[in-house]
Amino acid sequence: MPHFSNKKLILLLVSMIFIVALISFSLRDRQNATLPEQFIKDTVGLVQGLVAKPANYITGIFNDINSLLNTYEENKRLKMRLEDFAALQSEVNTLKNENKSLRDIVEKESSLREYVPIQATVIARNPDQWEEKIILDKGSTQGVQVNMAVMTAQGLIGKISLVTPLTSEVELIQTNNPNFRVSAVIQGENEEIFGLIEGFDVERNELIMKRIDSSFEVKEGELVISSGLGGIFPKGILIGEITEITTDDFGLTKMAYIKPAADFSMLQDVIIAKRNIITIDKHEELINEPTEQTQGTGE
Amino acid sequence: MVIRLLIPFIAILLFLLEPEFALFSPIELNGQTVFLVPRFLILYLIFVSIYYNRRRAVVYGLIFGLLYDVFYIDIIGLYSVLYPLICLIAGSTVKFIHQHLVITTLLSLILVAIMEIILYYFFYFINFTTITFTVFMMTRLVPTIVANLLFLVMLGWVFKYLINARVLQRARENT
Repeated sequence: MPHFSNKKLILLLVSMIFIVALISFSLRDRQNATLPEQFIKDTVGLVQGLVAKPANYITGIFNDINSLLNTYEENKRLKMRLEDFAALQSEVNTLKNENKSLRDIVEKESSLREYVPIQATVIARNPDQWEEKIILDKGSTQGVQVNMAVMTAQGLIGKISLVTPLTSEVELIQTNNPNFRVSAVIQGENEEIFGLIEGFDVERNELIMKRIDSSFEVKEGELVISSGLGGIFPKGILIGEITEITTDDFGLTKMAYIKPAADFSMLQDVIIAKRNIITIDKHEELINEPTEQTQGTGE
Repeated sequence: MVIRLLIPFIAILLFLLEPEFALFSPIELNGQTVFLVPRFLILYLIFVSIYYNRRRAVVYGLIFGLLYDVFYIDIIGLYSVLYPLICLIAGSTVKFIHQHLVITTLLSLILVAIMEIILYYFFYFINFTTITFTVFMMTRLVPTIVANLLFLVMLGWVFKYLINARVLQRARENT
């Protein structure tokens, strides 16, 4: 028997062409999932969510033990900061009140800063880790949409890149994707300095912030937050801390390396930020809710 | 009946556990970030291919590869080709290589290393990564192989035992 008959050879060639076509198709259209894809994602996501619960519980125990071991040192460090904190808290309160009264005076209700948080649990991380992304257990039925900001308690981690009815995918900011840009602000002493976060230095493990106007003076250790001007992210989400400042390739603007505030390994609970400034959905909810209730009592 | 369902059940379990273990990665080791990629499912499928049935392993490889592509990678046709291919190669070695547990372990690790290298070149080619091959070796390939070696040392004999139980049961049914 010959090893490769004619029929087999043709089959091999056809399947190879088919595979190349499939790969190029899925590489091109990465914003939307097709219907069978959505179905598979939802089904696997549902089962994965069940497995993730005990797994998260176990990792939670490990984390607890870990933090218990560090308690003494952490306590010492925190005590030192506690005094500063009390002063800071009172200052924040007065500023908040002042801000509110000033807003009332100018009758400006919505702000770029406000958002509705959606709590979500990480059910999986892309196991092969070539493309940095995680999968969450909330999807479009819970109001998640593409491009929403995703963060942990520590800071920004990424944005939603793909949504199915029950799951959503997050593209982390430490991605290689050159189109992933975050409009950011350096909180200087007296002024806000704008720039764009684009790119991630794999070897240093730090984000790169570009297009900072060279007339401003930027210092190491200053904090970087999202500016809210990109139209996607709410304002004021912490991104990280500046570790080094250089001039960029052309010498026209400054470039800064930023150490991300969020810890990217062991992600468990995240918050999806739904920006408040687009309030159409909210109005609909308010209108819908009472009608549903009256229907319920009528039946 | 229980043993009959055991082989696909373990495959499903490993498929679901892989991303949970991926949450531990990347790890800081001596100031260097190290990526550990769990490859439990394909290791198990290689065992199935060698000890049980090549054809079945290829079918499982195709199904789970497709699920993997759709759910995690979003590039359809990557793992759904690589998984069956690896299973096919593993099954074909049975004629030439003695099926001792140690040799099977080494063979499956070599196959996984080959798969990692192919994946690296694929992602390098489509510009998903820009790291050089040496960096890839140090931060991904070697740690991944070591981690998966640990996994196989712990559970390889369990796989072999379970698959053998199924083979024996099948032989009894046929006689």
